[in-house]
Amino acid sequence: MMIAAKSGMWIAIALAGLLAQAQSPNLLTHSTLKPAAVEFLYPEQINVPAGKATTITLHFRIAPGLHINSHTPKVDELIPTSLSIPEDSGVRLEGAVYPPGAEFTLPLDPRTKLSVYSGEFTIQARIVAAAGDHLVEARLRYQACDNSACMPPRTMTAAIDVLAK
Amino acid sequence: MELRPIPVKRNTIVLGTVLFILAVFAWAGWANFEYRKQAHERLLAMTPQGEMAANPAGGAPQYVTPLQGKPAPAFTLEDLSGEKRSLASYKGKAVLINFWATWCAPCKIETPWLIELRNQYAAQGFEVLGISMDDIDRGDPQKLSDEKRQIARFVQQEQMPYPVLIDADSLSTPYGGLDSLPASFFVDRNGIVVAAQLGLTSKAEIEANIRKALGN
Repeated sequence: MMIAAKSGMWIAIALAGLLAQAQSPNLLTHSTLKPAAVEFLYPEQINVPAGKATTITLHFRIAPGLHINSHTPKVDELIPTSLSIPEDSGVRLEGAVYPPGAEFTLPLDPRTKLSVYSGEFTIQARIVAAAGDHLVEARLRYQACDNSACMPPRTMTAAIDVLAK
Repeated sequence: MELRPIPVKRNTIVLGTVLFILAVFAWAGWANFEYRKQAHERLLAMTPQGEMAANPAGGAPQYVTPLQGKPAPAFTLEDLSGEKRSLASYKGKAVLINFWATWCAPCKIETPWLIELRNQYAAQGFEVLGISMDDIDRGDPQKLSDEKRQIARFVQQEQMPYPVLIDADSLSTPYGGLDSLPASFFVDRNGIVVAAQLGLTSKAEIEANIRKALGN
């Protein structure tokens, strides 16, 4: 009986924790967000040699009907797709190779050539990781449009577990 | 023979107390969930959300705004020179409120159409208010200066003759979310929204809505 009572107390404490979490205002905010235009596919986990530059391939998918500017859009004002890694993550981004964009014109303006990605695309990221396990939250900044309208620029997170030995 | 008391009663009280606490937590969780659900529904109800609907005349779907037939939400914003401009000061004129951004390729396509139409109908009491949705960072003077310069360069390149207002984040909710650009609202001489467009349409469609706002 004592064991049951103690277990019950722990369950009550755990429930109190869950309740506190449920009261977080973030949950309300998140429920109003629209799905992202770009999704990170993989890898979720990689093994790399510690301290040595290694190239990894990150795979992304753009929602059907949308495109995003390539890394080198042909119009100055357009926001290029770019990858970054936070400085304090234990992993340094030495450089990134982006795919060439596909030429694209809006139906109402065939003269203006844009450079875009659509469907799935990959970025070759050259990283150097310190020894240890690092949960890296790489950031992809992009700006998505369809054939007639554009959404504001966004920065998405690609979570990758980097195991460096 | 001496009988030893069995400690059942105490354990029962402890277990009962734990179950009571659990029941209270369960009730509090449910009440909290219901409260947040209602708050979310209230928030959605307060936010007018436009949507694309089938065009009764055929062709591309049309943007339907809940602001249709209602007074255009009031605003006062700065232009690029820092001067405050309010929608109220255009009462008596037909106004096209055009939300755009420098990073929006379709916005760049329609801008020359807006300029032509503005010049064509200005004498009848028509004005365009361009509202830039580019990010404005008031906390960083250097960034703010760069952002304003970028908008000003676009305005100069496109030779936009109408007022361009900035720092319009506060208008997203009253104007239906503004999740994508360009977005245009056509306001008649009495300040009522008579039409709206989302995304790039055509010069003819914009002109038809301007005429509607003018009462032609």
